Amino acid sequence: MKHVLKKGLLSMGALAFITAAAFANPYEKYEGTTIVVSWPALSHFKKAEELVAEFTEETGIEVEIDALQYLKLRDRQLLEMSKDEGEYDVVSWVVMWKGEYVSKGLLTPLSQFYTSGSLVDPNYDLDDIADAYLQNGGIVGGKKGYMPGKSGAMYGVPFGAETSILAYRKDIFEEQGLKVPETYDELRDVMQKLHEAGIPALTSRGKTGHQITAAWLLHLAPLGGKIFDDQWNPVINSPEAVEAAQVLREVAQTGPKGIPTFGFGEAAAAFLQGEAAMHLDTLKIAAMSRDPKLSKIDGKVGYALHPVGSRCGSETGGFAAGIPANAPNKEAAFLFLQYITSKAGDQRMVELGGDPVRISTLENNADKFDEYAVVAEQLPCADPDWRPLIPEWNELNIDVLGQALTEVITTDKPIQPIMDAANEKARAIMEREGYYLWQ
Amino acid sequence: MTVLTQSRKPRFAAETMTPYTFITPAILVMLGGLLYPVFMAFYLSFYDWEIGRDLAKAPFLGVDNFVRMVQDPQVWEVLWVTLRFGFWTITIEMTLGVALALLLEKPIRGASIFRTIFILPLMVSPVVVGLIWRYLFDARIGWINYYLGAFFGIEPQVWLGDADLAFFAIVFTDIWQWTPFIFIIVIAGLQALPSEVVEASTIDGANWYQQIFLVKLPMIKSILIIALLMRLIDVFRGLEVMLIMTGGGPGRSTELLSLHIYNRAFDTQQLGYASAISVLLILIVFAISTAILTMANPMKSKSDV
Repeated sequence: MKHVLKKGLLSMGALAFITAAAFANPYEKYEGTTIVVSWPALSHFKKAEELVAEFTEETGIEVEIDALQYLKLRDRQLLEMSKDEGEYDVVSWVVMWKGEYVSKGLLTPLSQFYTSGSLVDPNYDLDDIADAYLQNGGIVGGKKGYMPGKSGAMYGVPFGAETSILAYRKDIFEEQGLKVPETYDELRDVMQKLHEAGIPALTSRGKTGHQITAAWLLHLAPLGGKIFDDQWNPVINSPEAVEAAQVLREVAQTGPKGIPTFGFGEAAAAFLQGEAAMHLDTLKIAAMSRDPKLSKIDGKVGYALHPVGSRCGSETGGFAAGIPANAPNKEAAFLFLQYITSKAGDQRMVELGGDPVRISTLENNADKFDEYAVVAEQLPCADPDWRPLIPEWNELNIDVLGQALTEVITTDKPIQPIMDAANEKARAIMEREGYYLWQ
Repeated sequence: MTVLTQSRKPRFAAETMTPYTFITPAILVMLGGLLYPVFMAFYLSFYDWEIGRDLAKAPFLGVDNFVRMVQDPQVWEVLWVTLRFGFWTITIEMTLGVALALLLEKPIRGASIFRTIFILPLMVSPVVVGLIWRYLFDARIGWINYYLGAFFGIEPQVWLGDADLAFFAIVFTDIWQWTPFIFIIVIAGLQALPSEVVEASTIDGANWYQQIFLVKLPMIKSILIIALLMRLIDVFRGLEVMLIMTGGGPGRSTELLSLHIYNRAFDTQQLGYASAISVLLILIVFAISTAILTMANPMKSKSDV
């Protein structure tokens, strides 16, 4: 009897424990903890501040945000993450830095959290996050070192991720009797017609360095080009790459004045202030065009798929967030990441004016925002391999392509020799970094 | 021959050493602050190091970074840009600054108000100067295009997107900010000149031209040299305005040596290589400063010989 009673009590105790565990607050253990987040001072992240406040209210975990201009984040994060004890618990990186961060051992693999029953939310549904975003911003490894594959591992979750779509002025296209371009041939034709009508056609980034390379890459993927062949030989002087540079030159010649000085902000401003008929870049332009503080063209903008060249392809970029290897509060940091990218968090980001990363969020809100249906249709074509996310990319991006492409758009010199010279420089860099030792 | 003897205090007498004792802490702090970064620049220039990697494990490259630097056409390109920039800015700033100081040295009506307004650019931080002029030169919204169009019918120019125009723009901005510096130094020198000498030259019949070029400017020669030296060092050191206005572009048309070092160090993460170029910069500045000071040592006089 005593034995039975003991067994019964133990069973009840176990049941009570299981029930308690089921209803336990997973955040309770971390209440009062302060986590420090490093992310960019960009629109999506500014809007996320309200979600962060809600996170603190719900969980008791305090969040301190260190927001910097996005191209300046890397220096600060690298310095902080290379200390023995860092201050950041969460860092948000431009996707092209992930390879560098991981190769230097600065990030924590997220598998240890996603396999922890006490931390992971069973309703989180990682599969619902757009695959291209996840691959682009969060996964490191695989055959190329920056993609999924047998050696791939997850280091980050997309947040503020993006792909490219075409935004166009419905009123101008209607007035001019133009069809929205679906292919690159049509796009070039429309640019020319708009230019002849005295209307600046397509705005673009064009500032020396990262910005102009990003603009060229937008055209390179759909036109069938790439940066390296399978043996890491640079092919930036291929016919496709030269054609992409030619398109960029035509964009600069037919677009608004000042493209060689435009970063993303200036290019977007030219469109939002009504000084260009089209904008082909990140989907972030849609939320910006609705913002009366930024835009004079609210209600006049239509959205279409990124024009197709020899294949369909759009960029994958923006940001992902992860946890530094030297973060003092890793578990609380994971709970924060999980919260802001959960289904509820993603939906809340939409309500706050940010950009979702989940397919279900895009589909559920397609009737509210014109661009969402286009983005959902574009995402299967989004190319997570549209640029190589290797540590050497920064030098190629800024120093080699960023210089050569400036020459393309600011001079009338033949493009092929410019790209040939850039290709040689790129090869020298890869050689210096030891990429051909095994060949 | 008369031999002069002089009673001398012992070299290490307490009285002699007291001033040194007082200034020793300041010297140590200054040397630490100055020598440590210089030493680190030299040290890193022999390694392949990136921020985020353990410095102790950085591969030792010997003089590879220096060999690479000598063979790197980019370094010579930006050095040429720096020298051209220095030539135009310093020549114009010195000429304008001295001319304005000569014009305004006399106590004419409104001179003090003009002087105050004139030195305002000096009080603005280089970052703000970069921002202000970036927007003034902006092709879309800049005032410069607006007024050139409104008053002279000139077509809008993409000032910062054309290699020649962008170079002109940064030279213009530098002149705007730093001419007052020359002005203020020179006017202080002119006002400190003994009035008897100037009056004497007037009595002797010196005309305006002779007074300026044979009396006043020679007398403030040491001040002019110091001003020149400071501007030269600034040209090799400064990067904020270019970083903000043009980022060194288009191409490398406005990339000065210091900005190139910054880009190498932080954009392309080649700290070792950037340090090697920094060593070059230190040597250039040191050589120029020494040459100027040697050629025209303001402290040197025949009595020292």
